[in-house]
Amino acid sequence: MNQVVCQECSRNLSAKEAYELNEKVLCGSCAKAAVDRAKAGGQPAQVTRFVDKSICARCKTYIGEGGGVVAGPVRLCLPCSELVQNWPYPQWLKLSLIGLLLLLVFALFHGRNYFQAGKDLYRGEQLVEQGEYQKALPYLREALKIAPNSDKGALLTAKTALLIGDVETAAKALMGHEGGRFENADKPEFREVDDLWKKANSALEQLGKAAKLEEQDGNEVAAAKLAHGAAALYPQLLHVDIVVDEYEEGVAFVNKDYDTYLSLAEKDWKLWPTGGTASMLSSALACKYAVSGVVSYRQRSEEMLAKAKELSQGNKESLDRLAEFEERNHYRLESREIINKTEYDRRFRGGKNSAK
Amino acid sequence: MFFIPGQVISALTFPGVIVHEAAHLFFCKLFRLRVFNVCFFRFGNPAGYVIHENSENFTAQFFVSMGPFVVNTVLCVIFCTAAFLPVWELKVTDPLAYFFYWLGLSIGMHAFPSTTDLSHLWKAAPALAKKGNLLAIVSLPLSAVLVVLNYGRVIWADLGYGIAVGVLGPIAIFRAFARF
Repeated sequence: MNQVVCQECSRNLSAKEAYELNEKVLCGSCAKAAVDRAKAGGQPAQVTRFVDKSICARCKTYIGEGGGVVAGPVRLCLPCSELVQNWPYPQWLKLSLIGLLLLLVFALFHGRNYFQAGKDLYRGEQLVEQGEYQKALPYLREALKIAPNSDKGALLTAKTALLIGDVETAAKALMGHEGGRFENADKPEFREVDDLWKKANSALEQLGKAAKLEEQDGNEVAAAKLAHGAAALYPQLLHVDIVVDEYEEGVAFVNKDYDTYLSLAEKDWKLWPTGGTASMLSSALACKYAVSGVVSYRQRSEEMLAKAKELSQGNKESLDRLAEFEERNHYRLESREIINKTEYDRRFRGGKNSAK
Repeated sequence: MFFIPGQVISALTFPGVIVHEAAHLFFCKLFRLRVFNVCFFRFGNPAGYVIHENSENFTAQFFVSMGPFVVNTVLCVIFCTAAFLPVWELKVTDPLAYFFYWLGLSIGMHAFPSTTDLSHLWKAAPALAKKGNLLAIVSLPLSAVLVVLNYGRVIWADLGYGIAVGVLGPIAIFRAFARF
């Protein structure tokens, strides 16, 4: 350890304990006394810790009085002076930096599918916030392909699908999320979807009951009431207005109100031109021909039946239903007698094939 | 609130310490300040340090003090962005994503400048701010907030900052990109 001598009291002391005042090396007590004297005399006094300029401040190598290089308040040996002027980055740090950058590139490459899914998710979310549910759904579906277990993705998709009446897509999104399980059932997002989901299922249940009721003659009004109830409960259900109209058409048929029957069938055909709505219109037109004898009704009825067949191509179930209907419709047009299916089955099919 | 020794936290998040000190060194070299010693990581307090000469130049002071804060924050956002979607939004089980998130959070946690660095800025800034020095004006509120956050380390303010940056940063980025 370097020793120095206090220039006031001549005491030997360690260089570490020494101070410097006006280029004089002092011990602690002499430095304090000198400062007090200076202050009393109104003189400035700046005491600093003694720096032994004969040794390098970094590596403690002896450099002699006036040797080495002055670097700010300290004196350094030449190698240390060069080092502090241009401290090198260690090799491992450079390699780590390269590794970090490579990792980053790899991370970004590895995550490209996630970025696309995330982009789709956020785009879908923005569109949902703007109320553009139809536009949002394709984005959300794409996001779910990558991340079916995403709470946000599944709930947003289900909500969007339910709001546009697409219960099937909503069911797929919810069931695809860990078998329909969600961690936090208290989240407002979950409760909102749960509420919609319950309404949709309740409405579908009512429609199922309505369909069963309608199979039995004399229950047309009750069936239509159930259909109206379902539509009120879940108005977003796809084509629910047409479904309700079809039940109302059944009521109009029973009441022999063929004008209402025809106007509803015409409306539904315009709204949703399918084999089903075409055959319904064909039936209504046949009724109108039967009661009025106006040939144009008959011609249009036959045209709509042909249209129904055309639109049902490839759908065996629809074609079978149409074949059954065609026979009854032909009878209606030829005989101009309006009878329901049950009566037709009883008369010409020996009571079989009674399902509507 | 639970207590975990700082050395354990530093060891668990060592990449952040190394990045912080490397950024310090980078800015010291950029402004040609003498560097007397560097420790990138050690099991002690502080976990890393760069001993450098003081500068009269406020710009140098600002960047040497705040540089690591900016560098660590930016790297935290980038690494967390690479891992944010699978970890937070998409709930995809991807170990690599969790590794990147740990890396990002570790770096983000060590963004805060030391109170010593901040105190230098705090002393020099008011006089320069009065003269209209933009960096000095910016550094005053920034230093004040960072000093408070630094003291908040005992209640995990550094981890909170890392998570906030690592979650909010990517959300902002993805929301902005989703518009295009």
